[in-house]
Amino acid sequence: MDRKTILEKGLLLNYLLGELNAKDEELIESALQEDKVLRQEFQKLESDFERMALENAIAPPQRVKSSLEKTLTKYDNDTPVKSLSTSSAFNPARLLVAASLAAIFALTSFWFYNQWQTAEENIRVAREEKEQLQESLQKLSEEIQEVNAMYAQLNDKDVIPLLLKGNKLAPDARAVAFVNHKSKSVVVNPKALPALSEEETYQMWADVDGEMISMGLLPTDKDLVALTYIDKAESLNITIEPKGGNDHPTVERLISNIYL
Amino acid sequence: MDESSQINRLKNGDKNALYALYDKYSGALYGVVVRMCRDKELSEDLLQEIFVTIWEKIDQFDPDKGKFYTWAYRIARNKTLNTLRKTDPLIQKEDMGVYNDIEQEESAHNYEALNGVIKKMEAHHQKVIELVYFKGYTHREAHKLMGVPLGTFKSYVRQALVQLRANYPLTLFFLSMCLDVIDHG
Repeated sequence: MDRKTILEKGLLLNYLLGELNAKDEELIESALQEDKVLRQEFQKLESDFERMALENAIAPPQRVKSSLEKTLTKYDNDTPVKSLSTSSAFNPARLLVAASLAAIFALTSFWFYNQWQTAEENIRVAREEKEQLQESLQKLSEEIQEVNAMYAQLNDKDVIPLLLKGNKLAPDARAVAFVNHKSKSVVVNPKALPALSEEETYQMWADVDGEMISMGLLPTDKDLVALTYIDKAESLNITIEPKGGNDHPTVERLISNIYL
Repeated sequence: MDESSQINRLKNGDKNALYALYDKYSGALYGVVVRMCRDKELSEDLLQEIFVTIWEKIDQFDPDKGKFYTWAYRIARNKTLNTLRKTDPLIQKEDMGVYNDIEQEESAHNYEALNGVIKKMEAHHQKVIELVYFKGYTHREAHKLMGVPLGTFKSYVRQALVQLRANYPLTLFFLSMCLDVIDHG
């Protein structure tokens, strides 16, 4: 680049300010080396700006110099200290970090183990509860089936409902017998029979040709009791018998009967 | 002690040589930095960094290519502009936006007022020197700030440089040249 171009474009100032790219900077530098007049021109420019900068100087606070001195002292000492510390085989800081990591690992492992155990226990409890529920469900469905069956029996068009009223021995006693001769079944509702002592029970009998045949016991805590159907029964009879029932009826304690 | 032997001692790792150069130039460089970033605390940090860089890179300084102060000024300018761009990439644009308020700001920040020969120049010549030298704007940024075409701005710069020359007597220049010649042996 020739002197004229450089001066006309004012590139010496750009060079002085450090604004040029590497390529242009190199061009200016080689031009300055070769051209004495240009070099003198640049030296004048440098002097002008240096003088102007000194005229506009602002004294920095003393602390900047102190801080610089401190930094440079550290700068001197830093390198060997650094190399020593890195070559050291035993580093307490590293040991501390390793120990902390190990502790964190141990704690988290313990925590996870606890969580796992708790989860296992929860699963076991849930399984047990599920089994209990299944049992209850089965029981309930069996009961429903039983009740449904009984209900179906009672609703059958061939069922004859019979009201057994208490005699003088038990004037308030009531029981309803549902007799189905077609399906040969008997169901009795004994709810309205007066409660007995724990040593006694009601028992139902069928009279066939003058012989009393046991149809079964009548516990008063049940809504409906299925009894044995006896063919050719002429009447149904209820007696009070000792607990567990009797082979032969205690006729003295007959409280109700009805003819079929 | 003359400057070239101070620089030689600095190149040999003599910290006292750096401190001597600090005493001579820290004010001029601080004047530039503080006008560029308008933040005294930041300027103090930057000034320290600049002298640490001088300490680290003095081997790259070639006295045949220019004066020590010119080299140090470039370091100061680049470091300051880089820091400003890092802290706020919009800072230059913001400054452009508030250009009309610069006069008011200057009265608020006394340290920004310019002294010496530059004060004797015409206002627009003062402004171009201030923008390119003390604020670190490129010509392309600065002409927009002044609201004049780039060609006009460049003319202002040339005129300002001529005025600067006229105000610094030639004898001084020759004197300093002679001193330099003696320094370099």
